Amino acid sequence: MARSLEVLLLDDEPIVGRRLKPALDKIGCQVEVFENPKEAVARIDQKEFDIVVTDIRMEEMDGIAVLEHVQKKWPRTKVILITGYAKMDLAREAMEKGVFDFIAKPFRPDDLRRIIASAAEALGMPIDAASPNDETVAE
Amino acid sequence: MSIIIISSDVREIEEMIAGKVAEEKGYGRLDRRIINDVAARHQVEPGRLIEALETTPSLFRKLSSRQWRYYLSCIEADVLERLLADNLVCWGLAAHLYVTDISHAMKIRVLAGKSSGLAKIAEERGISLQRAETYRDDEMARRKKWSLAAFNQDETDLSRYDLVISLDQIDSVEAVRTITGASEYRKFQVMTYSMKCLTDLALAAKVHAVLLKSMADVKVQARDGSVVVSTRASTRQKRKKTETIKALAGQVDGVGYVEVHVKKNFLKETA
Repeated sequence: MARSLEVLLLDDEPIVGRRLKPALDKIGCQVEVFENPKEAVARIDQKEFDIVVTDIRMEEMDGIAVLEHVQKKWPRTKVILITGYAKMDLAREAMEKGVFDFIAKPFRPDDLRRIIASAAEALGMPIDAASPNDETVAE
Repeated sequence: MSIIIISSDVREIEEMIAGKVAEEKGYGRLDRRIINDVAARHQVEPGRLIEALETTPSLFRKLSSRQWRYYLSCIEADVLERLLADNLVCWGLAAHLYVTDISHAMKIRVLAGKSSGLAKIAEERGISLQRAETYRDDEMARRKKWSLAAFNQDETDLSRYDLVISLDQIDSVEAVRTITGASEYRKFQVMTYSMKCLTDLALAAKVHAVLLKSMADVKVQARDGSVVVSTRASTRQKRKKTETIKALAGQVDGVGYVEVHVKKNFLKETA
């Protein structure tokens, strides 16, 4: 039997983790949720996740720094950035630095599931992202 | 996967470079060949659309400012919708002026330069190099005026572009190679966010075109199927105009919600 997709979800707004974790659980992901970037980075140092989903704008460490850290430690891991402050320059910077995808809040859990499925495909671990739940994640 | 938008100070150069880039990349071409389709879709004359792309409103040509804006909005709406297909090279449709803040749309300006550009103009038009230079300068001044009037953007402002190539310094073969190479950069690849921005822009343009058919002075923004329309009206007309806008915009495919912001039209108020 294929192993589950290991996902680390980092956002300093607790509501994001509370909304997204069940949505990703439904498609068979093993999700660990963090609100503190430093704690998330410490966990990343211990474990290779398949996918890291991180907010960009956070107090102690921004999402771009998390992306760079993940890339140094685990080059295979796909990083997805989410933000409520999306701008073209930031999107281009993130893409240039190797982010797998970039999504602006608010979005529906379905949008993230679709990106997760696409990342899983790129990792050679295809999943079925179909799920009826469609609540919007707040900005 | 990306969109490459090419413009130049010389039309012939623009077509030549864009065509070669499309061929090299194996991308689709989005150029003035769509004008007949756009015209048929909006039930206007193709010649009027071309005229709108080339000239500013004029009593002499019987082209009112309102008609001109409507024709441009028809082109804009169609181009943006087609750009959603991705992997396209686009030129000749003023897309460099209204495809804004889309990270996977790479905008290129090719400066024809004195040697190649002027020679091309002289050859195509059968005129001397000196006359070709005057023609080119006049054309640039005219395009600057047109772009500012049409989209409030100065197309001769080179800071607006992702890549500027002067054919005085780089020959056309190398220019095509440079453009195709740069289009491979990750920063110009499509992502969920940039596709969403383009989808929103296309929807706003579609609503804008529908509204401009019967009214002037409307601005439209769209986000996830919600549309905000800003306009002006006198106190007396405010309610009727709001209802009309809601009805017209609400019929556009993809629109889920319409909000209308009406500012007082002081001119009409005092009339």
